[in-house]
Order: sequence, then structure tokens, then C-alpha cells
Amino acid sequence: MENRFTVLNAAETPEFRQKFKIVFAVLLIIFSLLLIRLWYLQVIKAQEMKERSESNSVRFRKIEALRGVITDRNGVVLADNLPSFDVVYMPSAAKEHERMLERLQIMYRRKNLQIDLNQQIPKDARPYLPVRLEKNVGMEKIAIVEANSVDLPGLFIDVFPVRLYPKGEITASLLGYTGEVCKDDLESGRADYALGDIAGKYGVEQVLDSYLRGRNGAELLEVNVHEKEIKNLGRIDPLPGYNVIMTIDAELQKAAWQGLAGKAGAIVALDPRDGAVLAMVSTPSFDPHLFNLGIAGAEWNKLINNPLSPMTNRVVSGQYPPGSTYKLIVAAAGLEEGIINPHTKFFCDGTFTMGSRTFRCWKKGGHGHVELHRALVESCDVYFYNVGRLLGPDKIAKYATLFGLGKASGIDFPNEKSGIVPSEQWKIARMKQPWLPGETISIAIGQGYNLLTPLQLANAYAAFSNGGTLWQPYLIQRIETIDHKPYKEFRPVKKGVLPLNKETFELLSSALWGVVNEEGGTGRAARVLQVDVCGKTGTSQVIGLPQDPRARRDKRILDIHKDHALFVAYAPAKNPEIVIAVVVENAGGGGAVAAPIARQILEAYFRKDEPKDEAAIMARRPREDIANP
Amino acid sequence: MLVSKTKRSNLHNIDWALLVIVLSICVIGIINIYSAGYAFSAVEKQIPFYIKQIQWVLLGLMAMTIMYFIDYRFIVKGAYVIYGICVAFLLLVYFFGYTMHGSQRWLSLGVFAFQPSEPMKLALILFLARYFENHKSVKPYKLRELAVPLFFVLVPFTLILKQPDLGTALILILISASVIFFLGVNWKSFIIAFSGFLLSVPVVWHFLKDYQKERLIIFFNPERDPLGAGYHIIQSMIAVGSGGLFGKGFLSGTQTQLKFLPEQQTDFVFSVFAEEWGFIGGFILIVLLMILIFWCLKITLHARDLSGTVIAFGIVALFSWQIFINIGMVLGVLPVVGIPLPFLSYGGSAMISFMAAAGLLMNINARRFILHE
Repeated sequence: MENRFTVLNAAETPEFRQKFKIVFAVLLIIFSLLLIRLWYLQVIKAQEMKERSESNSVRFRKIEALRGVITDRNGVVLADNLPSFDVVYMPSAAKEHERMLERLQIMYRRKNLQIDLNQQIPKDARPYLPVRLEKNVGMEKIAIVEANSVDLPGLFIDVFPVRLYPKGEITASLLGYTGEVCKDDLESGRADYALGDIAGKYGVEQVLDSYLRGRNGAELLEVNVHEKEIKNLGRIDPLPGYNVIMTIDAELQKAAWQGLAGKAGAIVALDPRDGAVLAMVSTPSFDPHLFNLGIAGAEWNKLINNPLSPMTNRVVSGQYPPGSTYKLIVAAAGLEEGIINPHTKFFCDGTFTMGSRTFRCWKKGGHGHVELHRALVESCDVYFYNVGRLLGPDKIAKYATLFGLGKASGIDFPNEKSGIVPSEQWKIARMKQPWLPGETISIAIGQGYNLLTPLQLANAYAAFSNGGTLWQPYLIQRIETIDHKPYKEFRPVKKGVLPLNKETFELLSSALWGVVNEEGGTGRAARVLQVDVCGKTGTSQVIGLPQDPRARRDKRILDIHKDHALFVAYAPAKNPEIVIAVVVENAGGGGAVAAPIARQILEAYFRKDEPKDEAAIMARRPREDIANP
Repeated sequence: MLVSKTKRSNLHNIDWALLVIVLSICVIGIINIYSAGYAFSAVEKQIPFYIKQIQWVLLGLMAMTIMYFIDYRFIVKGAYVIYGICVAFLLLVYFFGYTMHGSQRWLSLGVFAFQPSEPMKLALILFLARYFENHKSVKPYKLRELAVPLFFVLVPFTLILKQPDLGTALILILISASVIFFLGVNWKSFIIAFSGFLLSVPVVWHFLKDYQKERLIIFFNPERDPLGAGYHIIQSMIAVGSGGLFGKGFLSGTQTQLKFLPEQQTDFVFSVFAEEWGFIGGFILIVLLMILIFWCLKITLHARDLSGTVIAFGIVALFSWQIFINIGMVLGVLPVVGIPLPFLSYGGSAMISFMAAAGLLMNINARRFILHE
């Protein structure tokens, strides 16, 4: 009995070897059976199986989720969905793509229909991955495709939701647009997009895409040879996206749009009490529906190469020299730093000399002896040259930064620019050159290296007007589920505090009131009947490429552009409800061009207690009336 | 003396051939899983399956290394403990596991889910090795002598059947039966056991979920319900058959890329491979698996003691049955029971278990020259 395992294990034992032979034989048989079966399927039955794989009659069809509806603060619909009837081709392995297209075109021609198949069937069309040939076709074409399904195997009509923007161009640069995901989006792997999915491409549609898009569903269908559905084998319902309620007031948005009609510029209106954006308009704009049907290359190039860049939202991405609107900040800095008091006088004879350079006041002949109040009301440049010289660039920069300039405001919108607040340190870091005293003089009237976005301008004045709270501007009030249950609420975010004395606020706000309401004020064109308006004009020289000083000089030499007109206002003077910044490019003086536009918007705003036009009354459309594809 | 010899043998007797075979199959598996997940990869939010599979292979290599360096006789000493731990995990799954695709097989371990039924297969083999090492017999085993081990086979079998995971439960029975037959069974006992098995079929049938019953019925006539349960078998056969002699090419299998195949990165990986690489590819892969099995069988032949023989043979049985049932299922000759194809199917628990099994084989192979005390 010793070491029984040796009996079992010794390879020499015939019994043990016998067992191995049996096992070996059994395994050989099993593997041979598998190989024979493989041979049977892949060689003998290959042809039959190939045919069956080609005519595989089961399809997974994607069901596009309805994108969330975007509304303004009063429930006016800004973005909705419409059903689009598309001609779709399901390529099979049969490879008769061209013939199918030809046939369809012949049928169209017979009915004198235009052939705008905007997509060729790609050569590498994968079998059973549908290709959208023509989008949003009319009843006649639908009838042709449906009636001739026997002659047009693989062609069918599919319903697909597309985006409808009732306000069109007015909200285009704000809402952005949607389109099929591009290769880059797919490869970046940022979000879980699939080929052919619709994604927000700019603006709110892009920022909130993950909320708006919902989740696509799918259907398992059995189809006949003409790709017509025979039997529904199962379905995963799509989940519609969340609805978005913006802080925008559609009426104000429209008023702002009308104010800029035919001009290039930007308008932004904020609620100074919490930073909510009431209107945001950038012109020229574009038709957001262009992208629904897949934009043609030529049209895209036209948009992209337009020198006025309609695809840029100037409110957040346009950077302008602030011009005289900057004087509020310089004045605040002067008062706070003890450089000036309300009674400090400077003499303005129309020029100011610094070394060998001479700086001019906008008013030929000058303002004579001026104190702070008149200097702001009449926008005397020489007064501020003096204040700037005494302050120096870094003190001005300190206050500009407190007003939120020089850094992105943090608004929930893409491509926000941060502007420039120049200081000695900034210049050395950026240009490797020391600060020149003359540059301080330019900065004091907002003309030097300073750049700000219209949003920053409005926000700085909002902070001043509300008594010193710098808010983070925001566009989205809340996000709701499809049945209007709250999903996410956005609260105002406080970004900073203006540490100004009460006297400073009082002095300066009375001066801003004077700009609009006093004799000689530069912003008198902005007066409205209902309320007291405060504001400041600005006229800034055009600077094309702000980052590069040489290019900037070249631009100035060319001087083919007129000045930008700026105006920033808030109202009512006490406890203001609205701040508006208007920038009109190459239009001339701020008081003459921008102030009247601000007035139109203010009038629209303060008319709000009166009954609204029908757009506002026609609240949200019920979503049931949108065909569910 | 023994220690020093052990060390020497470790260094000199690594079975490079086995390692190369296993790794080549793993690489084929990763490439194949890449293709299986390719078409709709943009839809998946998580890390692609092939990346995760690479991670599983690396973890598996660690498991293999551990199983290689610990003397297998030491592992056999702890076999009952290992068996107990695995059964405990199965009990945890029974009470706390979470459900996926309608069966409760998974245990969440924080970062990843773990399927205790996979290591259970290996634990059962170790259990049998320990048991028969302690109960050696020259004569064939009688039923009475087999009652105890059979009981310990039935415990995990029942737990896994309850999940329900018919395939894995069946594998446990098949492995145990193979090992016991290999050791030798008294003819009379065999007949009694077989009748017992036949009698138990209605009982097992009772345990089966409806979908499993349906699958078994459909298996005998797949065309009867081409869009229901027979769908899997038919689509898989179409995929394999349409691949033809040379295949449709990498990433070009229409059945695969259009997701006609269910579970194509786990149970149906072979049909993905056969569709894209054709009979030539399928033939090479099956032959590669055959070489793996015969290599393992060679190790069994040269094992130095009974526990080594039982473990090695148990692993041969494990690999062979899994390969046979999985490929048989894909080719439409066996019913659809979800069991993975060793080293090729996607899945962490299975990959790590199979790698550990390969490590054990290398362990037995490396220590075949050690003199027994």
C-alpha cells in the first residue's frame, strides 16, 4: 500500500497510459467535431449564410430623443422641436446605390420637383446603417417615396426632430445651434456621442447639451426587402431632454435686436440685483436653422469668412477699448486714493502736454476749469488725463480689477474673453518693455491697452449701481423635467465687493445721472419718460488686433474704421433694475449712436407693466403636438 | 535541501511554451474584443471593453505568477479553506449579490464586480485533489466512497444553479465527473450514479428558469422561433457561416458590427472571430486551443504525485469543457448556456481564474522533478 499514487501516476504503468490514450482520443474527437462543424458552416453553407446575413431582416433603428425646450423667463419659447420628414436610404450589401438614386431623381423630375439630394450615398456606406439623403421634404416627395416603395428598395421616409428657433437670428448668437456631431466630437470622447447624433454646437445649446439632448431610444424591427417595417420586435423609449428656462426676456432681446438693426455691435442687459442676463444680442447674426438640414459647404464658408464674423457672440467674445466709460473707474480710483476730491479743479484748454506728446480733449477749445461732476457729465478728457497722471497705471488697474475687468466674468457661456487691464507689470510680462508715462494718459480715458467685453462693461456698472456687489452674470434660471418638475435651480453667485465709500457712490451716481439728464451731458439721448436713467458714453478708437501692438499700430495707420460707439446705462437711478451696455462698431460717437439705442431698450423694459404682445401671451406650446418619430 | 531544490526548479522549469500559448490566445482575444466593441464604441460611456480586458490579462498574469511560485502541495494543503471561502462568497452572492441580465451572479467589490462562480471551479478542483490525495485507492472507487466528494460538489452546484447560471453549474458537474472517471469508478457505481442523474433531470428542470427551459427547447429547433430565443443561435450561425473561407476582414463583420450578435464580447466572441477571419482564422484558433489542451495534458502525464495529477487533469477538463460547450453553442450544436471561452471572452473573474489555473499547471510542471519526502 505504500505510495499508491505511484501506482496511479507512474507513466510506465500500462493502465495509466491506457487512460491517457483514451482521454487523448476523446479530446481529438471533440476538437475534430468542432472543426468539422466549422467547415460545414463556413465552407459548405457559406453561400447560404452569406445571403442570409445580407438580407438579415432585423434592424436596430435609433429613435432620436426630443431635445429640451428653451424658454425665456416668461415662458416664451426660444427653441423647440419640429418633425422633419427625411428620405432615408438603408444600404444593403447589394451595392446598387447609384441606381437607386437615379430612379428617385427620375421620379422627382416627372413631377417637376427640385432635386436637392444634399448627400450622395457614401461609397463606403456600411450595410444597414441608414443614410439620410434628403432632409425635411414636402408632402409630394413623401408621397413619391411611399408610393413607389417596390421600385425603391431600401428607401423610406423617417421622421426626425429638428430644432425650431421662433426668434431666429435674434437669439442665434445666444442660443447657438445644433447639428450632427462631427468626427472631432466623436474622437475626443468628451461625451457619449454616437455617429449621427445631434449635439449643441454653440451658445446655450452647447453649454447645456448634456441636459438638453436626452437619451436616444432604439427599436428592433423586422423589415421586408423594401426596408418597410413588418413587425416591431421591441423598443426602448427615448428619454426627452430637460427643459431650460433662461433669465432672458424675449421682448427685451427683440428690442435690443431692433436697436442694432443693420449695424455690427453688441448689447447686453443685466439685472444688477443678481446678475441675471436679461438680453444678449450680437450682430450681425445668422440663421440657426441653416444647420438643421446640414449646411452646404459654400454657405458655411460664407459664414466663417464673413469679416463681421456673425458666428461670434460679441457680448462675451468681442473686446473693445472702453473709451470714456472707463472714466467712472478712474474717478472712483482718484476719490478713493485721495488724489482728488469733489472740488478738485483742473483746467482744460483742449490739450494736455506730457513731455513731447500732446493729448487732446474731444472738445476743441476745452472745458475751462472743471470739477469732477462736470468732468464726468461732459466727459472732459483733460480732467482725467490729470487724474490718470497722478494715479499711475497700477492704481487704475487695481480699481479696474475690483470692477471685474481683466478676467472672465464666469458667465455660463462658451468662448468668454477676459479683456485686458494694463499695468506696469502686465506690460513687462506681455511686451517685455517698461511702462511709458504717456501710456497712463491714454489709459485714463480708456483708450490705451485696455480692452473689455460688453458683458464686463455692463457688469462693472451693475456692481456700481447696486451699491457695490459684483455678481457673476448668469443666463440659466433653472432646468426642468419634461413635466415641469424642477430639476436644477441656479442661484446668483457673488464674485466680489467694490470697497468704495458711500460718498464716492453718491458723488459718482449723481454725475452719471447728470450725463443723461443735465444740460451739456453727453448721454442726453438716453432719457426716457418713465424713470431716471444714469449712464456714461464712450467713443473708442478701433483696435483690430489688440494682442499685438505692431498690428495695432498698422490698423491705426490704415484707419479704415470709424470709432466704436459705447453707452452704458442703468435705471431707475435709485434701486436700479436694469443695466444696459451698448457697443456699436465703427458707428461714431457713443452719445449720438449708442445712447438712443439704450433708450429704446429702456423704454421697452419700463413698458413691461403694460400688456405684452402676443408672443409673450402665447406661452409654451404643449409638447404633444410635436410628432413623436 | 528541498527548499533549495524548489528554488532551482522554479528558475529552470518555467514552462515557456504554455506561457506563450496562453498569451497568444489572450492577444487574439483582445484584438477580437476590440472589433466586437468597435462599431458602437462611441455610444458606450465607459472604458472600452478591450482596454479593460488588457487590464484583466495583466491582473491575470499576477494571479498566474502567485499561483506559480507557491508550491502547489502547499496550496493543496489549504484546499478545503479555499473551497470554504469560495462557497462563502457564493452564499454572499445568494443573499447580497446584484442582478444583471436577470440573474444574480455578481458581487460588488467597490470598484469592480466579481463573479465568485468562476474561482469556484478552480477551488472545486483543488478540493478534489486534496480529497483524493487523502483517500487514495488502488481499486476503482465505489459509490459509497464517492458520496462525500459528491456532496461537496453539489453544494456549489446548487448555489450556482439558483443564481441561475446553468452553464457554470453544469461545468462543475462535468469537471468533477471527468476527474472521478479519470481516477476510476466501479462499473456498478457508475450505473447507479447515471440512473441517479437521469432521475435528477426532472428536479433540475424544476429549478430552471423559464428562459432556460425555453433555450433548451429552442435548441432542438431554433427555426421555430427565429426572433425570440432562437435568435441568438441563428444570428450566431449566420455570422460564422457568412464569414466563409477567408472571413469578412477585421472590423468588417456585418453581423458583429451591426450588433446582430448578442453578448458578442463575452459568450459569442468566437462568432465575431469566425465571421471576420473566416474558416482559416477559426481553424487556426481551434488548433491553438487544441495545442493548449494537449500541452496541459502532457503536464498531467508528468505530474509527480496524485494531487498534482488531479489538479492538472481537472484543469484540462475545465478548459476542454468550456471550449467545447462555448464553441459548440456558437456553432449551433449545443444549447445556449452562458459560459465564457477561456482566455478569449471578455470578463475579469473568468480571465483571472483561467490565468491562475495556467499558473497552477506551470507550478505542477516545474515541480515534477522534486523528490517526494
